[in-house]
Amino acid sequence: MWFHSIGLLLRGVRVTFDLFLLQLFTGVALGAIYVLVALGLSLIFGLLTIVNFAHSQFFMLGAYVGAFIMGFVGNFWLALVGVPIVVGLIGMVCERFLIRPLYGRGIDYPLLLTFGLGLIILEIVRMLAGTAGIPFGTPPSLSGAVDLGVFFFPKYRLFLIGITAVILVGLWLFLERTSYGLIIRAGARDQEIVQILGIDVSKVWLVVFGVGIALAGLAGLLAAPIRGVFPEMGVPVLVEAFVVTVVGGMGSLFGAVVAGLLVGITVSFTSFYFPQMATLSMFLLMALVLIFRPRGLFGRAGLLD
Amino acid sequence: MTEAILSVQGVSKRFGGFTALSDISIDFHRDRLTSIIGPNGAGKSTFFNVLSGAFPPSEGKVHYNGRDITGVAQHRFAHMGIAKSFQITNLFPLLSAHENVRIAAQAMQTRFNIWTPRSRFRELDEKADALLELVGLWDKRHETAGNLAHGAQRSLEIAVALACEPQLLLLDEPTAGMSPEEAREMMDLILKLHAERGIILVEHRMKLVMGISNRIVVLHHGQLLAEGTPEEIRTHEEVRRVYLGQTV
Amino acid sequence: MSSKAERNALDVDRTGEQRQVRMPALIDLIARHRVLAAIVFLMVLPWATPYEALAINILIFGLYAIGFNLIFGYAGMLSFGHAAFFGLGAYGCGIPIAKFGFPWFVALPLGVAVAGLAAAIIGWLAIRARGIYFAMVTLALSQIVYYVVFQWVSLTGGEDGLRGVAVNSIDIFGLRLNMLDPMTKYYAILVIVAVALWLFSRILNSPFGGVLEAIRENEKRAAACGYDIKGTRWLAFLLSGLFSGLAGALYAMHLSVVPIETLHYFNSAIVVMMALLGGMGTFFGPFLGALVYLLLEDIITVITVHWQLFVGALFVFLILFFPRGIWGSLLHWMKQ
Repeated sequence: MWFHSIGLLLRGVRVTFDLFLLQLFTGVALGAIYVLVALGLSLIFGLLTIVNFAHSQFFMLGAYVGAFIMGFVGNFWLALVGVPIVVGLIGMVCERFLIRPLYGRGIDYPLLLTFGLGLIILEIVRMLAGTAGIPFGTPPSLSGAVDLGVFFFPKYRLFLIGITAVILVGLWLFLERTSYGLIIRAGARDQEIVQILGIDVSKVWLVVFGVGIALAGLAGLLAAPIRGVFPEMGVPVLVEAFVVTVVGGMGSLFGAVVAGLLVGITVSFTSFYFPQMATLSMFLLMALVLIFRPRGLFGRAGLLD
Repeated sequence: MTEAILSVQGVSKRFGGFTALSDISIDFHRDRLTSIIGPNGAGKSTFFNVLSGAFPPSEGKVHYNGRDITGVAQHRFAHMGIAKSFQITNLFPLLSAHENVRIAAQAMQTRFNIWTPRSRFRELDEKADALLELVGLWDKRHETAGNLAHGAQRSLEIAVALACEPQLLLLDEPTAGMSPEEAREMMDLILKLHAERGIILVEHRMKLVMGISNRIVVLHHGQLLAEGTPEEIRTHEEVRRVYLGQTV
Repeated sequence: MSSKAERNALDVDRTGEQRQVRMPALIDLIARHRVLAAIVFLMVLPWATPYEALAINILIFGLYAIGFNLIFGYAGMLSFGHAAFFGLGAYGCGIPIAKFGFPWFVALPLGVAVAGLAAAIIGWLAIRARGIYFAMVTLALSQIVYYVVFQWVSLTGGEDGLRGVAVNSIDIFGLRLNMLDPMTKYYAILVIVAVALWLFSRILNSPFGGVLEAIRENEKRAAACGYDIKGTRWLAFLLSGLFSGLAGALYAMHLSVVPIETLHYFNSAIVVMMALLGGMGTFFGPFLGALVYLLLEDIITVITVHWQLFVGALFVFLILFFPRGIWGSLLHWMKQ
């Protein structure tokens, strides 16, 4: 009899472990979106010291531009390339004409301006695409599930984890291996040095803002099959990105990555074990970080430190 | 020999990989006017910031009247009786000279009173005017601090520091940017203030402090090079070498 | 938080007794008797607005903006979470009336107390975060309040809002005020707002008001003088939350329902906009901002549903071209 109970127990442990792994993977997939959004936010803050309150609306814009491209050419992969370019360019125009006049005028001003900008983007999308939202299916080649040995996992979420990893590597190469990246890293540490070197700082800032916004747009497109596409889809994202940034440490790209995954995993586990606490769990995490490590897990020592 | 008012034991300060101060131990006394000197980059400002609580040392302890004050919050220093002036003028630029001193004096009396009108505290006005008179700014008391001449701002800074009735006054290059004439006047004022309290002075120009100090501390490369009376310092072999080329 | 130089460049309605700047006699008179001037203005306001309910909204949101301005304009910290205090004031006052049948004079202070408690906790957490974090953290923490109220349907009504906050009449010393009559309601609320304004002015004139001014001008120096920066900011945040909570509680009594939108982050943004529009750090600015904002909203929402587009554009315009706001610019021109 006793070995039967042990067998049951072992099976129970096995099931729990599988579920644990599944939740972990789901959390990482969820976190991948947070990582992309928070990276853009942190990149922009790290160099321009601007908290971009319009970030979530560029996220939403990314989903809409993606839906538009797919409606036009019907190809998800083309949208994947097109969205960051289009949204990034829109971001650069905003930087050039709206944000640039505010440099050196205190940190609240660009923040408030970007908030207004976000409202404008939101309302324009409502005017052009309607308030109801539009359908956005998972691309056929990425729908269904794959057998990971221990459990079946949605193919799209696996793709999400993969593409985020690719983007991270690409961003890392950009920052480590290109002259722009060098300037960005130097600029994040000491703006005076960049100016002394005689580099046109405003051009660097324009590019950084564009890259940050492109990341937000891309995240919006990637989130579209999961979260759906509607004008208000960005609203919770802003708050989520703030939580990630506070947890990870403002301006720290490494912190954004770790905190994004951490928040994703936290939300995934609480929504499985205590569903009513799902939304609150990330705020509790943030509160804990604020109490014990007010500057965030990875402070602000420099980019990718 | 009196008990040390401020005692520094084994203090080091590192910024990343850079060691700004290493293992400094000194006692400061209430009845002395001690000057901290040293060439540029000797660690004077860092040392001053550790003494005045602007940031904690990486290692070591600071005691004040026998009490450990290492890492104590900045605002507590004024209440313990340690006041400081900043190297770069640091005032409330939009307030008048009078209001600058008055708000500093108010900190000793009331900080969280949200009820009584400020105008009721007449004694603060009297105190502010008295301090302005002491530093020679009484006639300029209604001028906006930001509009005062540099020398006057430095004097106002002293008056603001005095408002908390300190037992110990820490001054970071009080004569920075002053003409020789103004600097001499400032030194006279400091000497006058020393009658009632201990003073620690950071000064770049060695010549200025030799006459008025009764104790000199020399820093070099973040280390304590020498400590003694002006006479001892003047004849100190190492100090002479460090200051080679400068008239001692 | 803005740089020191930037703050200093902005005109602030200085509260010190020694006023250096010469202003025209009328403005000077208004500045000296600012509470009285505000009350006189508010007494005639309902005769100038298209309808009384709008005047009541101006009254309530004006108070909300004044409370917010304590932390934004006077303490120099941009909070993006004040909807939490306005909303909790509204729910804290509305729930005792609607669910437990409490009289209004018990419910109103309860609402203010709930808002104050939330401000104490959120403020304590947010002030630990330095500088630019503050706006993000206050926004994030206020979202907690939103989610909790949203999910606690049995108590709060959730998405549909809280219904049945009926205060039909108020009895004061045997005098029965009919709160269903908009004019009576306006003046009843005005009495409470007037007391709040007097309290607010008193705070600005107190030693604490002076400390706020000193910290905004030079934080380092204020700390060296012996002022506890975090403690001072926390108290300012708490007081600001109390005023916002009072505004929310009055809003619940005015509407007889509490919509969930009171807690929405857009409501936090509205109050930033009002303070900015009128002139941050000035005594009358926020009220003026509330007035102009609500009038604009009233006119534009009749014409188009895309009101938020105008709000967004107004934000951008104000920041780029008109950062002093209406009253702030007026003061600035007067001084020149």
